[in-house]
Amino acid sequence: MAIHLLGIRHHGPGSARHVLEALNQIKPDIILIEGPPEGEHMLSWVLHEEMKPPVALLAYVPDDPQRAVFYPFAEFSPEWQAIRYGVEHKRPVRFIDTPLVHKLASPPSKKEDTIPSDLNEESLQAGQEIGDLETIRKNPLSYLATIAGFEDEEEWWEHQFELNLQPQEVFSAIAEAMGALRELLPQRKDQREEIREAFMRRGIRTAEREMYTEIAVICGAWHVPALQNMPKQKDDDALLKNLPKTKVETTWIPWTNDRLSFESGYGAGVNSPGYYAHIWNKPDDDGTVWLSYAARLFRENKVDISSAHILEAVRLANTLAAIRDLNGPGLKELNEATQTVMCMGDDIPMQLVWRDLIVGKEQGEVPEGAPQVPIQRDLEQQVKGMRLKLSNEDKVVGLDLRESSGLQKSILFHRLLVLDIPWAKQQNTSGKGTFKEEWRIRWTPELTIQLLEKAPWGNTVEAACNHYLQNKAINSKQLSEITELVSKALPADLHAGIETVMKRMDELASGTTDTAMLMDAFSPLVQVSRYGNVRQTDRETVQVILRSIFYRMIAGLPLSCTGIDEEQSADMAEKIKAVNNAILFLDEEELKNTWLETLLKVTTVKQVSPLVHGMSSKILYDLKYIDSEQTAAEFSKALSSGNDPSYSAAWAEGFLKDSATILILDDDIWNITNNWLASLDQEVFLQVVPLLRRTFAVYNSVEKSRIAQRVKYSKEGGEKREAAVTINKERASRVLPILGTILGIK
Amino acid sequence: MTQTILRQAAEQQFAQEIEEIKLQDKHTKPANWQMSPNAVVTYLMGGTLSNGFEITPKYIGNRRLMEIAVATLTTDRALLLYGLPGTAKSWVSEHLAAAITGDSSLVIQGTAGISEEAVRYGWNYAMLLSAGPVAEAIVETPVMRAMKQGKIVRIEELTRIGSDVQDSLITILSEKMLPVPELNTQVQAVRGFNVIATANNRDKGVNELSSALKRRFNTVILPVPSSMEEEVDIVQQRVSSFSRAIELPIQKPVTEEIKRIVTIFRELRNGVSLDGKTKLKSPSGTLSTAEAISVMNSGLALAYHFGDGLVKADDIASGVIGAVVKDPVQDKIVMQEYMETVLKQRDGWKDIYRACRDII
Repeated sequence: MAIHLLGIRHHGPGSARHVLEALNQIKPDIILIEGPPEGEHMLSWVLHEEMKPPVALLAYVPDDPQRAVFYPFAEFSPEWQAIRYGVEHKRPVRFIDTPLVHKLASPPSKKEDTIPSDLNEESLQAGQEIGDLETIRKNPLSYLATIAGFEDEEEWWEHQFELNLQPQEVFSAIAEAMGALRELLPQRKDQREEIREAFMRRGIRTAEREMYTEIAVICGAWHVPALQNMPKQKDDDALLKNLPKTKVETTWIPWTNDRLSFESGYGAGVNSPGYYAHIWNKPDDDGTVWLSYAARLFRENKVDISSAHILEAVRLANTLAAIRDLNGPGLKELNEATQTVMCMGDDIPMQLVWRDLIVGKEQGEVPEGAPQVPIQRDLEQQVKGMRLKLSNEDKVVGLDLRESSGLQKSILFHRLLVLDIPWAKQQNTSGKGTFKEEWRIRWTPELTIQLLEKAPWGNTVEAACNHYLQNKAINSKQLSEITELVSKALPADLHAGIETVMKRMDELASGTTDTAMLMDAFSPLVQVSRYGNVRQTDRETVQVILRSIFYRMIAGLPLSCTGIDEEQSADMAEKIKAVNNAILFLDEEELKNTWLETLLKVTTVKQVSPLVHGMSSKILYDLKYIDSEQTAAEFSKALSSGNDPSYSAAWAEGFLKDSATILILDDDIWNITNNWLASLDQEVFLQVVPLLRRTFAVYNSVEKSRIAQRVKYSKEGGEKREAAVTINKERASRVLPILGTILGIK
Repeated sequence: MTQTILRQAAEQQFAQEIEEIKLQDKHTKPANWQMSPNAVVTYLMGGTLSNGFEITPKYIGNRRLMEIAVATLTTDRALLLYGLPGTAKSWVSEHLAAAITGDSSLVIQGTAGISEEAVRYGWNYAMLLSAGPVAEAIVETPVMRAMKQGKIVRIEELTRIGSDVQDSLITILSEKMLPVPELNTQVQAVRGFNVIATANNRDKGVNELSSALKRRFNTVILPVPSSMEEEVDIVQQRVSSFSRAIELPIQKPVTEEIKRIVTIFRELRNGVSLDGKTKLKSPSGTLSTAEAISVMNSGLALAYHFGDGLVKADDIASGVIGAVVKDPVQDKIVMQEYMETVLKQRDGWKDIYRACRDII
């Protein structure tokens, strides 16, 4: 009877190899692994054909999926190989770490934690004592590394235990080294660690009691000494008494290489999973194969790399290793050789190598039948039906909403957005037309968590969406929140949900006195009522709400345009513009007239901010509500010398912004502007220049050059108004038929 | 005799260090090298030998870069040191040659006007006319001499040399031989021969290396010093060796002034103040460490000859402005902005601010 303690580094390919060799030699009748006992029943999936690492064992609290732990496994993880060995040889495999029912029972200390940092913390706890300790104080291994003359402990471990091919005694060497470290370094009292080790010891005792004779224990190297010197069982039992408990479920989820790496900040263990996979697959590569991969990668990216480059790089890597007294080139040597020989010393192309080779783009897969939460299955089925993939790779999807498949995809993307699962992000499309959408999709493992979090809301994506939306609507206190919900929910095609949202909108609108918020709410509402994606029955409700919001908004508008500062008026002007567009879009005579009347009222109220005043006049002029003469009068009133120049400039900004055409074509307005500008003396002019610049800078270059031309050709402020051209009606009418044909009107 | 020489070659100046290293060197030496690759790295980076002898660091920076450079020279690829002006490219190449072969004198200075004869070989025309094409009439270039002796030849500013002349290096680098068609013979390189070229990547209008030639070089990019401390170290070391060479006694430690110059240079180079709070414009010049060294040197000389021997703000201000303002219009604005936004505000920097304002 013997207990074999195999101390490993998590995700160390060398450790994995040593573990396999050791297992083959020991032929254990039970394998104990540092891992969560709840995951044991999931282990049978490991040998499944469609199981492709990297994958992670995800354990979560069903009522609160935020409390979750990942146990990532790569093919080169020693644990993974040990599990495979056990399942293949029909040996019992047990996980002996702290059961998650206890571990997840106490809520995370920082409650408001966002998912990523939370995961980070958890996965560190889960997989990585070495990394764990590192975050708290100097990594104990670094003492050994410094003694051996290495820059960091990762590199030291790599050369000492990973790249080293033969030593069978490596495990006893590790145990000895760790024993010495734990003995000599001041120990930090960490109850969590102690509990973990107590559980591990309990696991070993249980196995002994069950009369297993050859027990293999695979655990992080750091724990070996603690398992070697067993304290009294009584002490452990005392430690493990009365731990809090909760319910935990586990599932397999696909993992990715960049999640395995430090790069993404997930701290699951290694910063070069791609390279580790390589040395796991090709342990005796002297760099030739690796550098050939690099060369191939460069060639794929249109960088010319010849075989001679590879040859020279291999030579350089090996020479470097020799100068540094290493057994063979490690990752650093290979990188330096690549950079020096293939990249002209430049480190920018190295980022490519880093991303594609050293980290790698490997993406794991989980067999279809593996236990899943209903909403997860629903999503996967939908995604499959749409011939998409929940993949880690960035992909751009172009959709045509006129086709049903395109529409379906768009709806799904929008629904996930409603659920706050940003799998797809909408991009600006280059083409014209509202039927086109472009999305960039990328699935990451933490999205899985976010999905699981939504599981309580419903068993399908649609149901969850509706319930989630309703809940959000009921809980929103501000009209602006609701407005945002509406614009999010609209394209997601959610009937039940949107009804609640509308109702809530009405409630909130009646309570609000903030005109600005009402204005914000108005535009999306118009969209709801215009688009056909609301059922006929909903339509009436929407109309009622629309009108009530409209009239509330109208009532407050003139007053809310007065006595506001510059920033607020800019804001208000934008809103007026948006509402105006919405009203034009709605095309209802009654509302339109009321709206214009109100705007007229705005222009008559004193102390209306000049910007808003100008903007309103412009709209009225555009819609022919006031004629050109009236407008000119307004304009000249605003720009008359009695006013403060900054007032005039702001007014001009409101009127002229985004509308160069009016300045180019309308002589009256041109002259008024021109004269006003010419009349300013230098000091005042300098004062208003910034305001003017704001107005004119947004014109495009064609408009600017036309204005410049006008300035050039109209003499002395262009006082003389061009004589009205008499139109030869007879000749003009001859053109009309052909114009009609071109424009397609009879 | 040696005292009158303005600047000694590396192998003369550090002759003792080289001797000591050779004595202590236990590693295997490549053919025709006077010391092992490890020893060369030690010579460059400094350190203490097993007998307690101190080696001064020649290159302050990343050890790995020097290891790559030395490792390259042991393979049959040539070494190209690339980088901004003033990042110690020529310095490193000189010391590499001195350490490896004990002879850093085989140099070709690359210029736009250099001809193929200066790279391959030339003819002694008097002899050529009288005796015809004979071996004796050949005028050897440093390249040919290095090939015959198995030494290292340095080519400075490789990218300044015209492309056609550059490419005459290809045969030499790949086949390690130099054909002399006139005599129907060739010079074959002895083991130990290699080339160290330097080139800077800032100058515009340089002759980009052809890809055939590029392939013969391993490139090491020498970076600008990564940290303030490193840069101050470099300037300090070079300044004190300079003052020894031209016999300027340094009365007082000048570290404070060096720190100020390096700070100014780093801030302008990186376009942001050291505390990261103020964004700055960068001038058109490179503001390399080498320039910082020469500003400090001229400041020392000014103080010694025209002042009381103590380096003051006035002594370095003109140098700083000379280094920063390369373009009289643009750079002047940059400098003025910098003076007003950073120098003026900084505690204890009033003197340098005033000195600068007097000049600009």
